[in-house]
Amino acid sequence: MWFFYRPDAASALEDPGVLKALPRYVDIVKNRKLAKFKIARMIGIEEIPTENLKELWEIHKKAMDEYQRLERLLDYGKIKPSELPNFSLLHLKSAIADKLLESCILCEHRCKKDRSRGNLGYCKVGKEMFVSSYFDHVGEEPEIVPSFTVCGRVDRPN
Amino acid sequence: MIDDARRRGCRNQNWVGGDPIPHIPFWLRVLLYEKENMPVFFNTNGYYTIEAAELLRGVVDIYKIDFKYGNDECAKKISDAPRYMEVITRNLKLAKQYGELLIRVLVLPNHLDCCLAKILEFIAKELSPDTRVNLMDQYTPHWRARELPEINRRLTALEWKRALEMVREFNLTNVIT
Ligand code: SF4
Repeated sequence: MWFFYRPDAASALEDPGVLKALPRYVDIVKNRKLAKFKIARMIGIEEIPTENLKELWEIHKKAMDEYQRLERLLDYGKIKPSELPNFSLLHLKSAIADKLLESCILCEHRCKKDRSRGNLGYCKVGKEMFVSSYFDHVGEEPEIVPSFTVCGRVDRPN
Repeated sequence: MIDDARRRGCRNQNWVGGDPIPHIPFWLRVLLYEKENMPVFFNTNGYYTIEAAELLRGVVDIYKIDFKYGNDECAKKISDAPRYMEVITRNLKLAKQYGELLIRVLVLPNHLDCCLAKILEFIAKELSPDTRVNLMDQYTPHWRARELPEINRRLTALEWKRALEMVREFNLTNVIT
């Protein structure tokens, strides 16, 4: 593991151009607001009895309406973060994403390969995503470093 | 692992490693275990579907999107990305609406009028002149470029100068180079 720290990174957060483009990001870094996934994790969903993708998307749509409401309330400090439910919007997203792997349409090649069985798509990615290396990455924009970067390796057929 | 990174002072989770689009299912699983309040950063070529965009909505805090081509023909020829313009412009608009947006524009040699001008025009007119844009002159030919002589060289100083002029012509106010 390498750890890089660029001394100009902290001051870059005061850069007017960054503040203008990423005000919410700055608030998350300063712990004044919650990262979006943390909010998605707070939205409870009754355990889903369905395997049907269309129904899952319908539940997702309703939960996203709730998400938007909750993000606004939290951002303006109108409510406090709530207890975490067992099954949340974030879990639902993960379940849908796993289901999509059976006929992958994540990118616009829409090649519909069944990656859940290890078939490789047009992108040469199959089932497993190995975290082959990870490091703290120094990128080209000072405002986003130091950032934690995870590099994936694509599946190779045996 | 990611929690450790935050404790050491890292500011965000940066999803890279080829394009992260095919790995969205993996990353959503990782986030289920994440406890720290760490912004999620999605660094992508922007060629994802509306379904993927829905999954990312309410998860990704910052979208950093490469905007590379200004017309379908160049996108198809160089990156084999059919319907590029429709897809990238939709996703840029959605990213702006769903989170915070940074755009990276790598200027390609010989593609200033057909691509760069169209890219900058879209940003200025359809997004906003104060969109944060990282304009880059660091293009180096990669393996496929050998089949495409037009991009089989670096950018010239003259082209870079012209690129900077275009930024001024479209009145973009938040460009870093
Ligand atoms: S190319 Fe990859 S990400 Fe795109 S649809 Fe096919 S398997 Fe999915």
